[in-house]
Amino acid sequence: MARIKKARISVRIDMTPMVDVILLLLTFFMMTTQFRPPEAVVINLPASHAQFKLPESDVIIVTISRDGRIFLGSPSQLIMATLFGEENKLRPEIEITKDNLSSLLVQARVANPKLRTVVKGDKEAPYGPVEDVIDILQKSKITRFNLVTEAKKT
Amino acid sequence: MAAVETGESKSAARKAGKKHIKKHRLGVSINMTPMVDVILLLLTFFMLTTYFSKPQAMEINVPPDDKNTVEVAESNLLTIRVAPDNTIYWNMAREPAKQVEFADLHALLLERIKSNPKLITLLRIDRASTYKMMVDILDEFNLADITRFSLAPMQPYDVREIQKARAS
Repeated sequence: MARIKKARISVRIDMTPMVDVILLLLTFFMMTTQFRPPEAVVINLPASHAQFKLPESDVIIVTISRDGRIFLGSPSQLIMATLFGEENKLRPEIEITKDNLSSLLVQARVANPKLRTVVKGDKEAPYGPVEDVIDILQKSKITRFNLVTEAKKT
Repeated sequence: MAAVETGESKSAARKAGKKHIKKHRLGVSINMTPMVDVILLLLTFFMLTTYFSKPQAMEINVPPDDKNTVEVAESNLLTIRVAPDNTIYWNMAREPAKQVEFADLHALLLERIKSNPKLITLLRIDRASTYKMMVDILDEFNLADITRFSLAPMQPYDVREIQKARAS
């Protein structure tokens, strides 16, 4: 029996349109991407129906972790340098105590009067430290502040 | 020789006569596969690392100082207390405290603000309770359009009120 050599059908798919679309998508993601800022502690945000978008700059963030520790941080390197010295300007947030929160907040507001104070608490954090922080803010004459939440899925 | 010459002259004549000469195209085919592979990898990387949801923020105003007190008619005062185990108790003025489930809080607040638009709400949360309770309840206030509320620390009196409500 003679072996019949089957003629292979060469399937050539034109990949050009696909590559075009992929390149477009890549460009889109490269332009729009924002990397998640590094965090000293992991915070699970509580959910709310609030619609207000948090500004990206001119904020100082008081973080209250799950175990009730307090951190202070700001996206601005200038603020971090003023508060914690030049060597700490790249760190996202630094643990502080209740007692020096007030003076640090005052210093930060002197450095940048437009600063918006933001409280970012873990949803499992005990209320005690939160109450203390709000009390300190009130005493440092910061009467308007924001609580960071994530959008509630309804 | 002659034939070659004529051939040459013929081709020369053709070159002169026809303007558009179809040049033989070199079939340059670049293998794009590795590039596409890399691009797909990059795309996957950016798609996975990007995040779109910006955090929302809830705005809170607190009175400037502890010292200036505002006189409030007691009949307008709704007190909401949160016990350490995250149960919620509410009462109007000096009525005894009653427990309310969080799911029913929205309806309760709406009913209260409807029956008394001058309602002032006082939120007292126990220090052992969670931050989530505070955000949830403040969110309910915002949803029910209760703009006049204040946060106050738990007093021994409030703890007794909660105990009384539990006993009954």
